[in-house]
Formats: sequence, C-alpha cells, structure tokens
Amino acid sequence: MTTKTDAELVAAAAAGDVDAFAMLSRRYRDLYTRFAVRMVGNRDEAEDVLQSAFIRSFRALGSCRDPERFGAWLYRIVTNECRTFVVRRARRERRIVRDDATFQAASVDPAVDARETLEDVEYALAQLDADQREAFLMKHVEDLSYEEMADITGVGISALKMRVKRACTRLRELLEEVHDV
Amino acid sequence: MSEREYDDEEFGKRVARRLRSVEPFDDRFEVDLVAAIRADRATEPNVAVRARPLAPAWWRTPLTLHLSPLAGLAIAASLTAIVSLGTFVATRSQVTAPAPTVAQVTHDTVNVVRFVFVGQAKTVSLVGDFNAWGAEPVSLTPVGTNGTWTASVPLPSGRHEYAFIVDGRRWVADPFAPSTSDEFNTSSSIITVGS
Repeated sequence: MTTKTDAELVAAAAAGDVDAFAMLSRRYRDLYTRFAVRMVGNRDEAEDVLQSAFIRSFRALGSCRDPERFGAWLYRIVTNECRTFVVRRARRERRIVRDDATFQAASVDPAVDARETLEDVEYALAQLDADQREAFLMKHVEDLSYEEMADITGVGISALKMRVKRACTRLRELLEEVHDV
Repeated sequence: MSEREYDDEEFGKRVARRLRSVEPFDDRFEVDLVAAIRADRATEPNVAVRARPLAPAWWRTPLTLHLSPLAGLAIAASLTAIVSLGTFVATRSQVTAPAPTVAQVTHDTVNVVRFVFVGQAKTVSLVGDFNAWGAEPVSLTPVGTNGTWTASVPLPSGRHEYAFIVDGRRWVADPFAPSTSDEFNTSSSIITVGS
C-alpha cells in the first residue's frame, strides 16, 4: 500500500510513470465503479467506459491543475465518458442489456422495502434521460451534495435539483407501471 | 420542505438503496489499464517503433521444427541473439525518438476495444498494426476457467489488422472477424473502429 499523496502520484504519472498511475487507479477505481455501472447499465460496458476514462485522464494529466484534488478531476472525466458512451449507444439504437453478473453480485438487503426489486429499479433507471439518471445517481446513490454535483457536472444547482425531482417523478411513474402489470 | 418534496426525498432514498451494491472490479482492471496505456503509447505518432520496425513477417508464419537436443541448443542461442537484437533496436528507437509526453498527445477521442480469445492456452497476446505487430505486445488476461482471455486496447478510429499469439508461438486470426492475408499468405483479422 503506497503512502504517496495524490499530488506525488500525479506528478510521477505525468512524467511517464505508468505504475504510479495504476496506483491512482487502484485508489479511485472502486469509488467510480458503481456510478459507471449504474449509468451505462451493465458491468462489461462500464468497465470499458472506466478504462477509457482512465486512459483519457492519463493523457490529460498535464491539464490537472490541482493534483491534490485528482479524485474530483477524475470524477468529471468519468462522468463525461459515461455521458458520451450513453449518447453514442443511443445513436446506435442499442438497447441496454441486463448484465446477469451485476444482478447476481448485488446483495439483497432484507431490510429494504420489498416493493421494488433491483431488476425493476434497473429497468426504470434505464428509461430515464441520461441527465436525469446522472443527477439521481449522484444525489441519492453516491450521496453527493448539490454543490459537489455542480462542481463535477458544471450544471447549476437549481437545474440539478430539477433533474433529481423529475427523475424521482419519472421513476415513481415507471415503477408504478411495473407493479400494475 | 413540502410534503411532495419530502416524499420525493424518501422515495429517492428508498429506491437508491437497491442500487448501492455493485461488486467492484478486481486488480485485473489495473493490469488491463497499464497494458492499454502502453499500447496507446505505441500508437502515438511520436514513437519511432510504431510501424513494424523488424518487419517480422517471417516469424508470423507458423512453423513446426523437429530437432535434436544439440541442434535445439544451438538454435536457442541464435534465437536469443535475435531477440536481443530486437530489444536493442527497440531501445535505441526509444532513445533517439522524442519522448512521448502527455503534452504531445493530440488524440481527442478514445475507442477502447475489447479483444476476446476463447481457447486453451498458457499465454495469449495480441499483435497488430496498432502495436507495431508485437513491438509492445498486449497480454490477454484469463477470465474464469473456461479458456476465455480478454484485453482492452485503446485504438484510434479507422481500420486495424490484428491477430493473437497463442503460447508465444502460434499465430491465430480471429475466426469471427473479416480477414486479410499478407505476402506470406498469413491471415490476420480486420477491425474497423469508430463511426
């Protein structure tokens, strides 16, 4: 386990030390895996998106102006990469495929309200606009504040609140439809 | 906070609980990442080893040799010399070429392509025009126990040729991809990346 700071590792990686960058990846990978998996809808594609985002960040390390906040900077790149991926996929008109491994891996908390299954929620989440899905995940799954969300997305707080609200409304409608079937 | 806002907040939290659990990726992620970054560097226009430096078409042709132990030793010594020469050439190229730095990178898109090989093997690597046909081979990582190997590689948009090297010696074209042949009648596969 390395004790080097983010800034030290960023400096080493920017000088070409790929192993230093691998340490940064190991430090942040788990934090962003859940967001990527939920944004793109399946595990394999999320891994590709994360790989792509991390490679992009390696290329752009020279533009990381505040290496101490590398994690937040990386989060912005991951978010953008997820958005780009979702848009491209929509253009290809590929439907979101359920990834069985993800569902099997997800533990079921018996204390959680049993009205919605994970599959129901995944289905409903996939129906949201990407902007609403992103805002909902950041707010309610990643527990970010609106200030943090605004910093990452570059979107104003009022607009983010509206997206979360609309996401909740739409999710509620979709889940009610599922239950009515 | 209005009743409706409170409901939304509670609803959001309740639904989100379902979404919190995701199994993290294992350390294979970094193995793939490091390999992809190194392969990415090999595609940089500033790296001199980019284009088939050793024109290794001769070793791409599958060969089966039957040798006595003594002859085997002699040939092994020769091969060691050839490999050393290859290393020297590559090293010299890297020294004399401008060092690839982040500032010199001009790509604005990344296409990460996942290559999958299925078959029994001890090692599988990926060679192609994007890594100078093995100047910096990409090792595939075994996934599970059913003989599946994968590697994720960033590729520039466009047409690329590739093949797998199985157990360090067997050249295998992808049976599920369009193929092409070189002047030695060795088949490679074709992938087109990007729109």
